[in-house]
Amino acid sequence: MITARGTNVTNGTGTCATDPLSPAAFVDARVAEQGSGPEQLIPLLQAIQERYRYLPEEALRRLCEVTGIRPADVLEVSTFYAQFRLQPVGEHLVHVCHGTACHVRGAQRVHDALVRCLRLRDGEDTDPEGQFTVQSVACLGCCSLAPVVQIDDALYGHLTPDCVTGALKDFLARQRRAHSEYVPDMPPAPSGQTEFRVILDSCCVAGGTRRVYEALQEAVRHTGARATVRPAGCTGLCHLIPMVEVVSPGREPVLYARVRPEEAERIVRQHGSPPGLAGRIRQIWTDVLDHLLTDATWEPVTRHTVDKRDPPVCAYLGPQRRIVTEHFGAIAPLEIDSYIARDGFVALRRCLEASDPEGVIREITEAGLRGRGGAGFPTGIKWAKVRAAHDPIRYVICNGDEGDPGAFMDRMLLESFPYRVLEGMAIAAFAVGAREGFLYIRAEYPQAVRNVQEAIRRCEARGLLGERILGTDFSLRLRVVQGAGAFVCGEETALIASIEGRRGTPRLRPPYPAEQGLWGHPTCINNVETYAAVPWILRHGAQAYAAIGTSTSKGTKVFSVTGRVVRGGLIEVPMGVTIRQIVEEICGGVPPGHTFKAVQIGGPSGGCLPAALADTPVDYEALQAAGAIMGSGGMVVLDDRDCMVDIARYFLEFTQKESCGQCTLCRVGTRRLLDILERLCQGKAHRDDLDRLEELAQQVRMGSLCGLGQTAPNPVLTTLRYFRDEYEAHLQGHCPAGRCAALVHYRVTDACFGCTRCAQVCPTGAIPLLPMRPHHVDDVLCTRCDACRAACPVQAITVE
Amino acid sequence: MVTLTIDDISVTVSEGSTVLEAARAAGIAIPTLCHLPGRAPRPSCYVCMVRVNGGSRLMPACATPVVDGMRVESQSESVLAVRRTAIELLLSEHLGDCVGPCEGVCPAHLETPRMMRQIATGQFREALITVKRSIALPATLGRICPELCEKGCRRAGHDGPVAVCLLKRFVADHDLASGDPYIPPCAPSTGKRVAIIGSGPAGLSAAYYLLQQGHACTLFDAHALPGGMLRYGVPEELLPRDVLDAEIRVILQMGAEFRGNVRIGAELSLDQLRAEYHAVLLATGALQEREFLEAGLARSAQGVRVDRRTMQTSLPGVFAAGSVVIASRHAVRAVADGRAAAEAIGHYLAGVAPSRTGKEFSVHAGRLEPEELRPYLACGSPEPRLIPSGGRAAGFTPEEAQREAQRCLQCACARADTCALRDIAERLGANPTRFRGTRRAFEVDTSHPEVRFEPGKCIACGICVRIAAEQGETLGLGMQGRGFGLHPAVPFRESLKAGLRTAARACAAACPTGALVLVSDRG
Repeated sequence: MITARGTNVTNGTGTCATDPLSPAAFVDARVAEQGSGPEQLIPLLQAIQERYRYLPEEALRRLCEVTGIRPADVLEVSTFYAQFRLQPVGEHLVHVCHGTACHVRGAQRVHDALVRCLRLRDGEDTDPEGQFTVQSVACLGCCSLAPVVQIDDALYGHLTPDCVTGALKDFLARQRRAHSEYVPDMPPAPSGQTEFRVILDSCCVAGGTRRVYEALQEAVRHTGARATVRPAGCTGLCHLIPMVEVVSPGREPVLYARVRPEEAERIVRQHGSPPGLAGRIRQIWTDVLDHLLTDATWEPVTRHTVDKRDPPVCAYLGPQRRIVTEHFGAIAPLEIDSYIARDGFVALRRCLEASDPEGVIREITEAGLRGRGGAGFPTGIKWAKVRAAHDPIRYVICNGDEGDPGAFMDRMLLESFPYRVLEGMAIAAFAVGAREGFLYIRAEYPQAVRNVQEAIRRCEARGLLGERILGTDFSLRLRVVQGAGAFVCGEETALIASIEGRRGTPRLRPPYPAEQGLWGHPTCINNVETYAAVPWILRHGAQAYAAIGTSTSKGTKVFSVTGRVVRGGLIEVPMGVTIRQIVEEICGGVPPGHTFKAVQIGGPSGGCLPAALADTPVDYEALQAAGAIMGSGGMVVLDDRDCMVDIARYFLEFTQKESCGQCTLCRVGTRRLLDILERLCQGKAHRDDLDRLEELAQQVRMGSLCGLGQTAPNPVLTTLRYFRDEYEAHLQGHCPAGRCAALVHYRVTDACFGCTRCAQVCPTGAIPLLPMRPHHVDDVLCTRCDACRAACPVQAITVE
Repeated sequence: MVTLTIDDISVTVSEGSTVLEAARAAGIAIPTLCHLPGRAPRPSCYVCMVRVNGGSRLMPACATPVVDGMRVESQSESVLAVRRTAIELLLSEHLGDCVGPCEGVCPAHLETPRMMRQIATGQFREALITVKRSIALPATLGRICPELCEKGCRRAGHDGPVAVCLLKRFVADHDLASGDPYIPPCAPSTGKRVAIIGSGPAGLSAAYYLLQQGHACTLFDAHALPGGMLRYGVPEELLPRDVLDAEIRVILQMGAEFRGNVRIGAELSLDQLRAEYHAVLLATGALQEREFLEAGLARSAQGVRVDRRTMQTSLPGVFAAGSVVIASRHAVRAVADGRAAAEAIGHYLAGVAPSRTGKEFSVHAGRLEPEELRPYLACGSPEPRLIPSGGRAAGFTPEEAQREAQRCLQCACARADTCALRDIAERLGANPTRFRGTRRAFEVDTSHPEVRFEPGKCIACGICVRIAAEQGETLGLGMQGRGFGLHPAVPFRESLKAGLRTAARACAAACPTGALVLVSDRG
């Protein structure tokens, strides 16, 4: 179809809409498929970007024409969300994660190394050949593998500056070998057969698990062993991946940690062979757990079997209490029967049979369940409010916009326990009287999106979602909406604006979403973990749930513990355990030789609690009194190597980037807070800057509309409260942790014997090559990448 | 109806009103920048913040609905402090000059840009009136002024500053040569009498402005003729005495009395003057140590000690201006000081508190890089600085004056007098340099025939975006980006002209600052 207007929308430079390959034709086809309502704007932009890797102007102009969406709205939306790019990019996209854990573990050095390796010019993000575009990303949610880089869809973890070249080469090599991303649904294993369970959630994949999975499949085929290889959900033992669990009938399951692909065949031969051979090869348990964090390569190094009864594993798993992660490791994420076989959908069935929505709300209220998104609002009260609304149209929304850098429990739940989340949501929808719902999931979590979409499809096929669920007259249609890269969309009113196809700007409450939410209708919006707790509560009763935890905080909480701990990972603990128990007992404390300094809880909205307050229990009120917040559950452990001023600066850099820009105090105020913190980290601050910092922080808190602005100063205020001496030291031009690059200097001591290794690894030529003679570092050329210190065999390089 | 209290005043308004509307109904002023009356509130500026029911967070009054029994606090120090911070944050990224840099550096604050517009269009008489609002002796100063204004001129580093001083002299000479020199209107007599000791630049200037207020003035001088240092210190080749005489004549014609050959102290004591006059102004030029002691005046390191706010000395009713306070070689400072003293004495005589402390609130863009200057240069004629054809001593011809005045780039903000941001900043006592960041680049968009857009003055309130949408613009404007980088832009990087086909004037009219202004506003 040629129309006069249609052919001339592109300033004469584009192709006409009838060209089937033109952006205009692509837009026409997408609009025909997806619809043209305002709520389709973001999904349409996502489709265009997926096709062209950026948003060509021709496509956007066409989109306005065929949908009637105003150009100004396209401008506002396409420039608000970080996902959208208006300029063409290189062939491959390299996302450098700057989440908290990655930041602490040196993400900036990795980023700098990429810039050097790709010879990026000042201010440019694409290499001269147009092969790679390097971009920062707020958090990929693979914190236990920090620092992490994502190249297109492939994740690389545990990177160091000197192995980025290797990662890029590996990526290009793997490009040539096509492999399937999708793990098909498999029939249950015939009884009596050995099962190799491989955890395949996205951070395990980043740790190299997929190659192990493929190698095991190949080995089974090759050896003809009577065994099945199947994916399993997250166990939270992130420090042991890639992990393979071997479940053989009549025998104790065996857990292999840090498996390499080339070892797959030996594992298969051992367990897949007739009995008798077993035990011939004994794996030796070493102290890998303690050495893991100093491990520099992203390739898994050594193979070990571990027993769940091994002391460190016991310590890790022992104090945990599994409710939302119940049957972890045993449930195959997408196998609906695997979930059903373990009490899946029992709670939903009971609710529908009892047909007593008020009773469900009563139960949730009595259980004392509070919102796990951070603020801790009582879930039962929220549901009752939506139920009480007069409007017959109501919605349920699952807030899966887990944006806190350093937090990834929602991603894990969506990837590994999608059915549990859906069941909880369905129960909520039944209780509040909703017939339609949305799961808003970050686009940075592609596997979570895929798993949930697939889980919805399978539920619908089984009559567990969709029309007339389980034969009753309750119907529920659930859909996944992908976020587009805006932390502020975790705020409920901003999230709703985003689903409606607008910029994610929060609005003043009241009215609350429970009264006026999506498209003005009453909306029940809860966090992923909140929904995931619902089936357990309804199966075991409110009393059983309320018996766990403290007087005001009931049940369990999932935390992602990362940073400077020996055993990092995902844990689910009863409310009321202390931070010390989590850090020291469960996670094995900070690495040997270092002292535990602080825990950052609650991400950019939270605060830093000093080690002296480690006996604070995990409880909404207790954490708030100490200056932190429960938050969504990110916990980053810091030791003597970490600078608290730098941590405050890091978070302000984050919130400043993520501010929607609506309110003056947040838009400009966070920028000015960051300015002062940057001056401090460069040793350029003035004495009165500290007062100005504190006063401005208080006022930004008082004068911002939404939670982002109101809590953005928290990292500053808590570090000022507990670590003022470090701020004072920075005023004197000294960084006690030796972290702030402008305030530290690399020196070569007398111990140097002229081996030249430092000079060879130095990326900027700051160390002249002087064989057999003492070396020295040029302070001006030095970028503080730390490569020389790591390379020196005699510790002759010191940081002052 | 809903009843609430605002600052302990009970207000009853209809349901659905906002706190802002209630406050306005009660006559309580709450400042706003982003508020568009009659539309759904979309708070962004947050200068209308109030405390509701003693809460720890502040609420935007424009978007907070009234509730029966609500207690609102709108004027407490903590509320004002957050408002002030909001303004200071906006100012920290505000790039522009409220007044032209020439005006900012002139001790007398001559409104140069306005004078230039008037000369450029041949309105010489109007230009003179503009000049004389700040400078009582422009023909005199036009010959001896240190030309600080020209050092501030944005063209100075490009192709030479606009000849401000010569142009000021031109309008003054042109006026004196007309045979009918301008005499400003004077208010009816107040019956108050002021003794001015010293008839140099400070004393003459004070008399010129006091007379306009309706106060009688007597100038005492130790010399036989008025003029002080201008007559007895400046060489005649520099300042022909007929020029000085002509300007003094205007002041005498306005009613000033001159009494020469009178030395205060010997023949006439300060106490006597204080008894006979309602106020006394010391404008003697630098005094000797002995003279202070005799007069009983407290002194500072530089001269007579005065209260900076009231310009009064330690003796009630005795004021001081000019070199007697701080020695200066520049007559323009003395002239400026004399005018300020006239204002201060006026307040004293009227029995009112001094209106303001020091200068008006202003922000300054500071030095611009050569490439940033380019868009500015488009606002003036491209000609280089003109040298008077008859030589500097002869000054400009009327035609030359017009041409030279057209070189003025009109750096001053077109909204200097109507800018809401400046007004609120001044009322809240904001400090524009409290928060310093990296300065953004200066830009100006002159692509639109009706309006001019200066992104550096935009506060991202979104008013223009909303108006463009209301008026049904096809392209219109949208807020681009987020966070600190948020700014209005035309979709698809098209020009402002394409974005605002019909709504430009309405958008400019509603802009709370000088970011979007009508081209016609700039003279």
